[in-house]
Amino acid sequence: MVELDAGAMLRTQETERHYRQLLGQRRLYSVLIIIGLLVAASASLWFANETNAGKFFDRIPYFFDFFKDLAPRDGWEIWRALFDLPSPYDDGSLQYNYPVGRVYLIGPVYLPEYFYKMIETLNIAIVATMFGTALGFVFSFFAATNVNSNRAVRFVVRRFLEILRAFPEIVVAGFFLVVFSLGPIPAIMAVAIHTVGAIGKLYFEVVENADMKADEGLRAVGANKVSRVWFGIVPQVMPNFMSYALLRFEINVRASTIIGAVGGGGIGEQLRLAISRGHEAKTLAIVLLLFTTIVAVDQLSAYIRKRLVGEQAFALQGALA
Amino acid sequence: MLSLTNVTRRFGTNVAVENCTIEIPAGQMVGIIGKSGAGKSTLLRMINRLIDPSEGTIAYGDIEVSTIKGAALRLWQRDCAMIFQQFNLVPRLDVLTNVLLGRLNHRSTALSILGLFTQEERASAILALEQLDITKTALQKAGTLSGGQQQRVAIARALMQRPKVILADEPIASLDPRNAQIVMDSLRAINQRDGLTVVTNLHTLDTARTYCQRIVGMQNGRIVFDGSPDDLTTDIAREIYGAEGLKEAFSETMTSTSLPAAPATAPDKSASNEPVKSRAGEVAKRMTDAQLVT
Ligand SMILES: Nc1ncnc2c1ncn2[C@@H]1O[C@H](COP(=O)(O)OP(=O)(O)OP(=O)(O)O)[C@@H](O)[C@H]1O
Ligand SMILES: [Mg+2]
Repeated sequence: MVELDAGAMLRTQETERHYRQLLGQRRLYSVLIIIGLLVAASASLWFANETNAGKFFDRIPYFFDFFKDLAPRDGWEIWRALFDLPSPYDDGSLQYNYPVGRVYLIGPVYLPEYFYKMIETLNIAIVATMFGTALGFVFSFFAATNVNSNRAVRFVVRRFLEILRAFPEIVVAGFFLVVFSLGPIPAIMAVAIHTVGAIGKLYFEVVENADMKADEGLRAVGANKVSRVWFGIVPQVMPNFMSYALLRFEINVRASTIIGAVGGGGIGEQLRLAISRGHEAKTLAIVLLLFTTIVAVDQLSAYIRKRLVGEQAFALQGALA
Repeated sequence: MLSLTNVTRRFGTNVAVENCTIEIPAGQMVGIIGKSGAGKSTLLRMINRLIDPSEGTIAYGDIEVSTIKGAALRLWQRDCAMIFQQFNLVPRLDVLTNVLLGRLNHRSTALSILGLFTQEERASAILALEQLDITKTALQKAGTLSGGQQQRVAIARALMQRPKVILADEPIASLDPRNAQIVMDSLRAINQRDGLTVVTNLHTLDTARTYCQRIVGMQNGRIVFDGSPDDLTTDIAREIYGAEGLKEAFSETMTSTSLPAAPATAPDKSASNEPVKSRAGEVAKRMTDAQLVT
């Protein structure tokens, strides 16, 4: 194990704090999705209850009927809904006509509807993370004291980043969806804007903690500012930058799903529709797909992060031990 | 010719360098000695303009070093390479790239960022590494090298700048005796073979005596001695280092450098350490006997 000087200790603690922040946000969004699911499901139950006789609260003893309502006609229905296979219960209604959603690629090869929609949501998250991270990257250097000595510019950039991250994606998305009509573009814009603000702040704090010896060396070479940042600082902060971008991506997948439910398209919208229409097999298929995808994304991201900051993670463990 | 005229640098009320005037002709190898806090680093950093002087002028030929700005300043920094005690390389980049970064001021930023160094530049970088006998580390990350190897990479990078002057701020202070000797030998070779002016801060008297034609002594920000190694009498050395510091300045020669009087070939460790120890020890003893003990 390498010896850590005071500066390195501080840096690793800082990094640890940021990780916790991001993980906290990711958890919050997961909880939001679950709460949303429950609320939507109970709302539809209530609606169904209202339209029938009886009242919701009278029905509380029969609460578990809700789960009974969610139970598909047979176990295979979930898989049929997920992979758009024909159902024996097909009566021509939307509820059981799964193949109608197929997205044909070449000849008979098709992508099941929900996979297509899941990709749409992932795509929103990927594009938003890329744009947001790229802009946040640029802004972070203008906000960092050790790179930009102009106080006024620093002040303006930092306030700007604060404004961008002040509103949750979903609020911004709601606004854009009203202004620009429904679809993935407003969703991307909303997620990207929040990402710029959040990533910009994390990044400039990483930059401010960078060791400036390399930069000083390049200054003495006669290199200009851009070269100094690119060669002196970026190699040092890149593993942390990538790591934060991946964590942000995990958060953005959740955010895109939630935004989908309020009109941004993708899997979120399908989920809302399936629940509100009381399509039990479809609901379960979507929940299964969403759950699997989120776990897969998180695992993949964690794997890449570990490889990127392997040595730093080591130092981190050492510092915390 | 590098000339400093009445150069002063203040940090708040603290005067780090006070009214220094000195002329260094091209091709000289100058050692600056002094206690910790004497202002050696500040003086050197002002010459490279990592720090701006508060007063006075620094000139190189007809370049007014102390007042230039922007591109002109970066051009001067290119011509006046600097070597640091902590090497100041980019640890995550490989050695070859680190050496090539010495070319940053010779080429467009866009090309550099795209990593488009020419075949010629690459070849001369490898040549520089070869001169310093570290070619085999070329593709290793700079941060994984030993201190002595890193300092040689830093020298190679400095050479890639094609400088006229090399400044070195305690280049051997964090190296073991063997590496210290290799680094000092390289600096001397650059001075003698390529005719570059070398100005180096040194912590220890002995290294300065062995390698430099001219020694400048600093104390509390002022230049208190300027002459050849032979002129540096024990009285003056004691004034520079103080009674306590003088012992330290000598005892450190045994722990931080191993310097035979004429380091022709890289000698065997035990063989090289012995005479130095006895010589330095003898000088220290003589001083202790004659002046330090009262
Ligand atoms: N950036 C700075 N801010 C404030 N004071 C400084 C700064 N740099 C140097 N000083 C002060 O200037 C004085 C001279 O410092 P300098 O680093 O030049 O000494 P030095 O001779 O190089 O010492 P050492 O042998 O320890 O490196 C010291 O009193 C130091 O505290
Ligand atoms: Mg110093």
